Amino acid sequence: MSAAETIRELDSLGTITVLSEEPDMPYFRPMIPFVISGKKRPDDLAVIGQGPYKGVRVDVRLNSRVENIDTSGQTVTVKDGSEVPYDKLLIATGSRPYIPPEIEGTDADGVFALRTLSDAVAAEKRAGEASHAVMLGGGLLNLKAAFALLERKLDVTLVVYSPEILSQLMEPEDAGLIRDALNNAGLNVMTGCSATRIMSDTGGVKGVVLDNGQELSCQMVCIGKGVRPNVDFLEGSAIKVDQGAVVDRYAAANIDNVFAAGDVAVTFDPITGERIVTGLWTNAVEMGRCAGYNMAGRPTEYTGTFGILNATQVADEPFVSMGIVHTADTDNEVHVVSKPQAYRKLVFSPDGKRLVGAIFIGDISNAGMYRYVIRERMPVDKIKSFIIDHKLHYGHFLG
Amino acid sequence: MSQPKEIFVRLDRCTGCHTCEVACTVEHSQNKNLYSAISERPVPKKRVYVEWVAPDGRIPVLCRHCEDAPCMHACISGAISRTDEGVVFTNADKCIGCWTCVMVCPYGVIGRHMEEHKAYRCDRCPDRQSPACVDACPTKALVYRTVEDYSSDVRKTASREMLSGEGG
Repeated sequence: MSAAETIRELDSLGTITVLSEEPDMPYFRPMIPFVISGKKRPDDLAVIGQGPYKGVRVDVRLNSRVENIDTSGQTVTVKDGSEVPYDKLLIATGSRPYIPPEIEGTDADGVFALRTLSDAVAAEKRAGEASHAVMLGGGLLNLKAAFALLERKLDVTLVVYSPEILSQLMEPEDAGLIRDALNNAGLNVMTGCSATRIMSDTGGVKGVVLDNGQELSCQMVCIGKGVRPNVDFLEGSAIKVDQGAVVDRYAAANIDNVFAAGDVAVTFDPITGERIVTGLWTNAVEMGRCAGYNMAGRPTEYTGTFGILNATQVADEPFVSMGIVHTADTDNEVHVVSKPQAYRKLVFSPDGKRLVGAIFIGDISNAGMYRYVIRERMPVDKIKSFIIDHKLHYGHFLG
Repeated sequence: MSQPKEIFVRLDRCTGCHTCEVACTVEHSQNKNLYSAISERPVPKKRVYVEWVAPDGRIPVLCRHCEDAPCMHACISGAISRTDEGVVFTNADKCIGCWTCVMVCPYGVIGRHMEEHKAYRCDRCPDRQSPACVDACPTKALVYRTVEDYSSDVRKTASREMLSGEGG
């Protein structure tokens, strides 16, 4: 939708068609935990009419999954058989949850991999009938869902294979404050184990068997084991796929007039130079806007994004994690300040000349400026002490 | 449409007196009165920050209401939009306190209201003709003008300086 909005900004006349496989009008996907907690109604999440989204003459067609792309004829085929021609095509099909095949019984009623608004509505209903939920995976999505369920007065157990929660966003020793906040909020966290089987009967889920032999009785399971780009429908097309749809810095795929953005696209990390796929709304919007500009004829280069980038509040602990933050077995220069109320970790390149990553927990003031320093690869010699002391302000950039 | 006014900062005039911060806080208090604002709960928040840079630089920093506002596009709840006056506005009712805006603002001017769990920033004082910080600044380091008028002022000042330089 952000690409559509951007194109409309530059081109008031062109026809813009959005094909979505979902039954709901575009919505703020990261907000679905609020539907589970009951704090928001599904309608509250609608994109059009909120924030920068006006949706002026954007034709959104729902229940219209694209099955096939003919790049030579410049048409896409929708599942009902109809063909939609295009001058420019954006692939923004996002991603889907990864369901580990080694877990048996994931198709039972009451097992959720929260991704869509429909998933959230169903989970909200199930939560009303459940007393205990087991969350498989210790990532942010599952933590948010866990808190939504705690608000619904369920007992919630989080089962994490890694030694600590949020292992994608930080190292175990960084997570102390957040772990404390989770414990205080009443979440049961089990680390170092994983599920092997989900037990169910006609009423749906009734328990989970763990690899340590333990059985947890529950009526609801949420799987949060990451996402994979939705590229299946590109099979057999001429569009290059390597994990996700491969694009250049102008969001263009290897075929003329085809672009890709968001979770489905392969982008790059400006720090490491690596090709990455990310699953973050904020990145998806940036990429979508970049694609929109290029599709509307204004060449615009994407600045890339960090493989790790996220901010949120877990219980009463706000945190931000960005850039290179996993520093065990690296030569990066690392500065950690750990206090009872706040934790921060600033990661510099091995020569100490550039900031490459940061974690702030408890106090996340001015985090955006640190992101800017990392992304622009700014030499930090004059401002390094302010960065380490978390005292950087915009005035330092003017000095 | 006439161009909207913006708050410009004349760094050479700022003495670091922090009067703008006080005026901003009072304006964003319940009674808009200094004395009652001090004891108000939750504590009213300033949205302009006078920073100090060695050896003697004073720099008032506040939301620039960026033309390409990263916060507005990054917001995951649709709480941030642009008003007809060009002000990037955070709708507190929609804000969920996820702090994504804080993570992407390159100026570091989005505050976190911890009691209310909401983000806040300069709103250019919608109830006033001219923002409180601008009215309060004793050295006129803050000015509220359109881009056109302000750049014209800068040109005139520069022309005068060139002329007086030639004459001297």
